[in-house]
Amino acid sequence: MSQFLGPLDSLGRVPPLQQTRVAAFLISAHGALARQLAFALPGQFDAGWQTELNAQLYRATETVSLLIRATAWTPDFSLPTLMWSWEAAWLPKVPAGVNDQRVGMTIDIAAFGHALHGAIRPAALLPVEAAAADPFVVALRRIEFESSRLIQAEIRFLKSDDLSSLREAVSAAVEQRHRQVGTLWADLLAGIGIQRDTERGRSDP
Amino acid sequence: MAFLAHGARRIRYELDGPKDGPTYVLVNGLTQYADLWAAYRDMLIGRRFRVATFDLLGQGASDKPELFISQADQVEALHLLIGEIGDGPIFLGGISFGALIALKYAIEHGDRLTGLVPMSAFAELSPQLLLLGNALRSGLILGGTTYLQDLLLPMNLSDAWLKPLLGNLEAVKRQGWLINDVYALQNLMESFLDFQPLTPLLPSIKTPTMILNGEFDFLTPRALHETLRLGIPDSSLVIIPNAYHAFTLEKAALTADLLSRFAEDVLAKRWRGGKAVWIAPDEPGGAMIPFPAGYDHLRAIPIRKAAS
Repeated sequence: MSQFLGPLDSLGRVPPLQQTRVAAFLISAHGALARQLAFALPGQFDAGWQTELNAQLYRATETVSLLIRATAWTPDFSLPTLMWSWEAAWLPKVPAGVNDQRVGMTIDIAAFGHALHGAIRPAALLPVEAAAADPFVVALRRIEFESSRLIQAEIRFLKSDDLSSLREAVSAAVEQRHRQVGTLWADLLAGIGIQRDTERGRSDP
Repeated sequence: MAFLAHGARRIRYELDGPKDGPTYVLVNGLTQYADLWAAYRDMLIGRRFRVATFDLLGQGASDKPELFISQADQVEALHLLIGEIGDGPIFLGGISFGALIALKYAIEHGDRLTGLVPMSAFAELSPQLLLLGNALRSGLILGGTTYLQDLLLPMNLSDAWLKPLLGNLEAVKRQGWLINDVYALQNLMESFLDFQPLTPLLPSIKTPTMILNGEFDFLTPRALHETLRLGIPDSSLVIIPNAYHAFTLEKAALTADLLSRFAEDVLAKRWRGGKAVWIAPDEPGGAMIPFPAGYDHLRAIPIRKAAS
């Protein structure tokens, strides 16, 4: 087990199977977030934070588009099974302790986005020798960089005074999504020979 | 790796050295992680100290609460760690954010401490520190951990330290970037949103206290350390020559030597705080120099103190 993607080829590129698995996971998760946002956002905004989520919808779409084009894809027969398990995991659910269905769904989408942007660090998988100009390498760095900005929408919403009376339920929902996303990510990485201390720590009971 | 349980959260810690020795507990700064104390661990263990280091909640290999981290939780985690150590003498040191947590601990649990060493410390947010903190938080949000590191490195370290590393700064930053998550650092920074100044509580710290301040500390300048010196009865202020905010990284051998000498003096009952002001030596083992009588240690130019 290594902590990083590789071994790299002579040009500093990540092996195609690793690219395929990582990209498939990120496309599945960011694609699910984009779909959920598209359905959840109202036609007419009534709160400032909704503008952030609108931007996020298009960023998530951009991430999917970017990875489709930047990845050196290779056939991977385990992907259909993995994709089903991922897609099932991303399905929205109203957190326990939240009675309002619409608010509950929005909390869950934000919790999912917080986990996706906070717990998934694709650029941290790159060894220092990775080719700086390789499209897949650039894509992973870009996705991680954008995540630190995109997560601000979730942070603002989830920590907002509007939800202060639901703080325990909100915290539990975010924690649960982090654990779920982190575990699936750690499993995916283990399947391509990577074990990171932080992911291992998170998935421990 | 050893872990403590704080409720459902896990705190990663390391405890090394002779079990019968006095213990130094060292608390990280905001963007740091426990392994940065490695040089202190080696040096202090060599002088028969036991050394405890740990990652705060939100840092390194400790759990990273997703939305909220309170400073009270950090103090509670520190209390758990100190509870693991046993009944022997305990010296508590902390740098920057870690110094604040150490001060809070000393206010709440001072009877458990034999000595306290706040380094690059503050008990209140001056307007400069508040605005710098806000700007650093914005930097983190807009540019991620890398940009925060880019801001902190030139602010907190000397030219002498930076110059030979200029071509290799990415490698210097990499471990901190790998181990820290943006949302967790942001949570640590946002734990100041409801911060109340500790200044009125400082007189309750009865523990012998050595306050360490870099000569050129820009982030937490002398005036913030002066608050501690004036407030803590059995304290002295030691100015580290040619040092900036992150002198624990830059001058590890000297700082570890000062920590060791302080603890040895306290244990031997030689320590006299007296709110004195000292200048540390340039090298480990050198003599401490009293700040020249009659001159104002808060000034950067040799101005005589106004007659009181």
